[in-house]
Amino acid sequence: MSDSLPIDLGTTSRRQWLRRAGGGFGSLALAGILQQQSMADRGVLSVPHFPAKAKRVVFLFMNGGPSHVDTFDPKPALAKHEGEQPDKIKSKGTGYMPSPFQFAPHGASGVIMSELFPNLSRCADDLCVIRSMHTDTPNHEPGLLLMNSGHQQPVRPSLGSWASYGLGSENDNLPSFITLCPGLPVVGPQLWSSAFLPGQHQGVAVDANEQDVEKLIANLKHPTLGRAEQRRQLDLLQKMNRRHIEERAGDQDLEAHIEAMEKAFRMQTEAGEAFDLSLEPQSVHDRYGKSVFARNCILARRLLERNVRFVQVHYITKTGKQPWDTHSNNDGGHRKLCADSDQATAALIEELKERGLLEDTLVLWGGEFGRTPYAQNDDKKKDAKPGRDHHNTGFSMFLAGGGVRGGMMYGQTDELGMHAVENRVHVHDLHATILHLMGVDHTRLTYRYSGRDFRLTDVYGEVVEDIIRT
Amino acid sequence: MDRWPINPWILLCLLSISVTIVATTARAEDDSDFFERKIRPVLVERCYSCHSIEAGKSKGGLRVDTKESLRKGGDSGPGVVERDVEKSLVVAALRYDSFEMPPDGKLSESIIADFEHWIQSGAFDPRLESELGTHEEFTSDIDYEAGKDFWAFRPIEVRNVPKAIDHWGSGRIDRWIANQLKESNLTASGPATREVLLRRLSFDLVGLPPTPEQSETYLADAAEDAYELLVDQLLNEPGFGERWARPWLDLARFGEDQAHIVGDDRSLCYPNAYLYRDWLIRSLNEDISYDEFVRLQIAADLIEPDNDKHLPALGFMGLGPKYYRRNAPEVMAEEWEDRVDVLSRGLLGLTIACARCHDHKFDPIGTEDYYALAGVFASTEMYNRPVKPDTELGKNGHAKNPTDSLHIVRESTPLDLNVMIRGDAQRKGPIVPRRFVKVLSASTVPSFDQGSGRLQLAVALTNPSNPTFARVFVNRVWQQLFGRGLVATTSNFGKLGEPPSHPELLDDLSSRFIENGWSLKWLVREIVLSETYRQSSATREDCVAVDPLNTKLWRMNRKRLPIESWRDGILLVGNRLDRSIGGKSIDPSLPEGSRRTVYSEVSRLGLNRMLAVFDFPDPNAHSDGRIKTVNPLQKLFVMNSPFTRSMSEALGQRIESVASHPKDRILATYQLLFARQPTEEEVSDSLEFLRGDKPSWNEWAQVLVATNEFATLD
Repeated sequence: MSDSLPIDLGTTSRRQWLRRAGGGFGSLALAGILQQQSMADRGVLSVPHFPAKAKRVVFLFMNGGPSHVDTFDPKPALAKHEGEQPDKIKSKGTGYMPSPFQFAPHGASGVIMSELFPNLSRCADDLCVIRSMHTDTPNHEPGLLLMNSGHQQPVRPSLGSWASYGLGSENDNLPSFITLCPGLPVVGPQLWSSAFLPGQHQGVAVDANEQDVEKLIANLKHPTLGRAEQRRQLDLLQKMNRRHIEERAGDQDLEAHIEAMEKAFRMQTEAGEAFDLSLEPQSVHDRYGKSVFARNCILARRLLERNVRFVQVHYITKTGKQPWDTHSNNDGGHRKLCADSDQATAALIEELKERGLLEDTLVLWGGEFGRTPYAQNDDKKKDAKPGRDHHNTGFSMFLAGGGVRGGMMYGQTDELGMHAVENRVHVHDLHATILHLMGVDHTRLTYRYSGRDFRLTDVYGEVVEDIIRT
Repeated sequence: MDRWPINPWILLCLLSISVTIVATTARAEDDSDFFERKIRPVLVERCYSCHSIEAGKSKGGLRVDTKESLRKGGDSGPGVVERDVEKSLVVAALRYDSFEMPPDGKLSESIIADFEHWIQSGAFDPRLESELGTHEEFTSDIDYEAGKDFWAFRPIEVRNVPKAIDHWGSGRIDRWIANQLKESNLTASGPATREVLLRRLSFDLVGLPPTPEQSETYLADAAEDAYELLVDQLLNEPGFGERWARPWLDLARFGEDQAHIVGDDRSLCYPNAYLYRDWLIRSLNEDISYDEFVRLQIAADLIEPDNDKHLPALGFMGLGPKYYRRNAPEVMAEEWEDRVDVLSRGLLGLTIACARCHDHKFDPIGTEDYYALAGVFASTEMYNRPVKPDTELGKNGHAKNPTDSLHIVRESTPLDLNVMIRGDAQRKGPIVPRRFVKVLSASTVPSFDQGSGRLQLAVALTNPSNPTFARVFVNRVWQQLFGRGLVATTSNFGKLGEPPSHPELLDDLSSRFIENGWSLKWLVREIVLSETYRQSSATREDCVAVDPLNTKLWRMNRKRLPIESWRDGILLVGNRLDRSIGGKSIDPSLPEGSRRTVYSEVSRLGLNRMLAVFDFPDPNAHSDGRIKTVNPLQKLFVMNSPFTRSMSEALGQRIESVASHPKDRILATYQLLFARQPTEEEVSDSLEFLRGDKPSWNEWAQVLVATNEFATLD
């Protein structure tokens, strides 16, 4: 039984058919229609609006919201004002709380981060830390939706699905948008929904708790039929489909289904390999660490190597839908969370760099918002250590690779880390910038739905030109 | 900030206030002073957070932010009765006699005494409904009368039907179609074969392949009216309601939970949503008239207050999405948008939600039209109605537990909304009285003055003089049967939508639909009996050259089965389909879930993976039809899923039981799946696949259900 793949039958017969259809305006118009249809598979933009600096994106999402004043935004003044209550805010705790962590500049550029990032500090010259992020709400649900889809309510396509819709896939054998997610985060699948965009652009969610490749992607393998047996089935199937289409020449839809079946057959192998972490040497596993997040960062690298357009890794655990939501014991929590995140994130950035991929892969790190510079105390638990509450008016994220200027700190919050005050970057601005780096003008990537041309950034968003490498 | 409002209606109101002020006595000035010093501050600080438009809340149906609303009171009776302290429930509540208000602590005796004094002396209250909010400048320059000239807003018009051509179809549909074909130098295609027609009709009408018995009877029936007989049989099958309910559920963004579920809190979910689905299926099977079908879904509680039978219909709005932090004004504004959107796109083919922030940019729909409709939904509340008399009650008459309730809507305090400038809940424009959409109404549009106005809305909406109501539905039915509507943008009949390919036909059919009692079964029958519908779907190159998209309908469109029909078909041919009608939801991706796909659980939080992969719409918003995608994840499901594996086995077993000779088995299977006989070549291909000692009929069966032919309707 032959394992060889048929050579692009779809295209051949499409061409044959067009030839048969003869000349004239009608067939030209039809050719235009067909082209549009195949473009929809590839992404609506046949050519990006600008040369793309980032061909792929990986968004490392710290669910729950990391504390900016404990990670990338040192605020020595917090010590001076320790215990004072913030102005005009009803805090649930003992007032301003300094970070116990030491901050230092790193690399030639002197990008500052706290001692919680001993590994990431080696990548300082590749990082662009935005310290002036702000978002519209201090609540998880709307905050998550805004960061992931540009709107506080559901029913909007996610960032990754916009990228897939605009640019399509560079790998025919894998989905263009994959979400690695050990369990469900708060809000859940709406975070990778394609909403009103065509369904092929929704994120393929992979339950990354699973280690077994076949459980990672639904229906990837037949439990009993081997490859040769399935090929034999497929050969009969495609023979029947070919015969069926002979009498229905030119039916593009039927052709597409024949192609998709072959793609699925190839995907069983390709995805099987892509998701099989046992193919990585122990040294790689050691480099990333032992956490589920670490494993997902390795998976992310394998997918990016295979040109998956958009990969999102959610930092959640089987039991914690938002581990970074440190309402109590903020310091201890961040110590542990950052340890995982630091090692795996640094390993990912370094590996991408070693493999020549960082150049055109955009890495994003951050959560839906930051945490309060003042304390939150749980009165019910006498011994509980103080935490920090949700904070949306100023927080930090970082970007690396993909055309972003490395070794840069951009924007500032005020003396106490309360509000972004200089070079403020709203979530819409971040989205506009991400699309820009991918070669897409955020004002021109639209989808007509419900009588309106929708876009990721709604009517907002300015590209942050200052952080883009020229 | 406090600009003079421009709206003349409000100017008039203000004028009447100043007249009142001139006439006041010194006594009244004292009253005013007392109100401003003693009463207003307490109301604002202690009561508005739960009982005012500003907060978007009217708990217990009570608002205390205007003279009118406070006097009218809430669910329990009037809040203030002039000079009657004992009948004024506000005082009882402040005293903690009946309600205990405010709930976080009784106010001081001196404050309560102030209220008593205030009521004794006439309860002076200058806060008029019309003054609520500070009105920002708001203008609109839409010429509604001129807007009515657009095709969709013109009355339905019946024109003379052209003569029949070349002995092809003499019915009215065919004559309109033939007329355009002739104009484009096209000709209609001949009829499809009986085998093709049987399969087409069966899937289109009941969503299932024909049974072997149906095939045998129909294919052997040489009588002239055999086709007509088959149509009537199918229309009377209970499967009709099951098949036609699903597009309605898409339209109504049917869902059984919420996109946001905080922790494990399922209190906003709809465990009994299936009762609405059951009502739809039953009503479609009973063929209740479409106008009544819609009126009941909007206002069943007001149409037949003493009859429970149609209450589940209210799930149309009652199962709508509830958003996180609902009751906050800006969140309620989002919910009202959902309701307006479903109503306007779903039933009127208009994108009225576009006008939430500004006048519609392309259609004659003003922001005021939007808030006039949104007001109806602001005056309506979601209601978990107890299913049984002994159900444990929670607050305000809701069933305590969602599992014990019917999820519908009920009347709330009538509320006219302010226009929200640029959609911002904090920036208030003029108040808009609740009413129907201007461009769909006669030149004067009466305000809704009965309760929320829901019943009046339902009546205005379904009035035969509303130019889009019938057209939109007729077009949707056409879309279901032809794969494309006469208006391709089925939920947008506005300027940005597609114009109708056959405007005269759409009007002709819409008008006759109304004449024939708004009967869906009449409409379906009328369409499928046409020659147009019965055409072959074969491509003809000369016609492709002229009309590649087949907008003129020179052939039947080939259709891909939606996931429902595909899955149900597999269950049926494998002899595994459970035909019981109605009831709770199933997981359609599991082999043991053997009921029809229409009974699938629909989650807004995480849509079933199988449904999502096969183009099922996002149930968080109205869908105007399925987007068709072709992707490898669908094929992985076909190749490897437990469902298809199990069904292939079932089909394999059935095949082995129908005959003993391999060739006979192959013939029977082709008949079962494709309603036709295989060619010699096809038989030999299959025999080749099945050669060897242990031919696997299961594997062969799986190949057959995976074919394009099984999933395609010619």
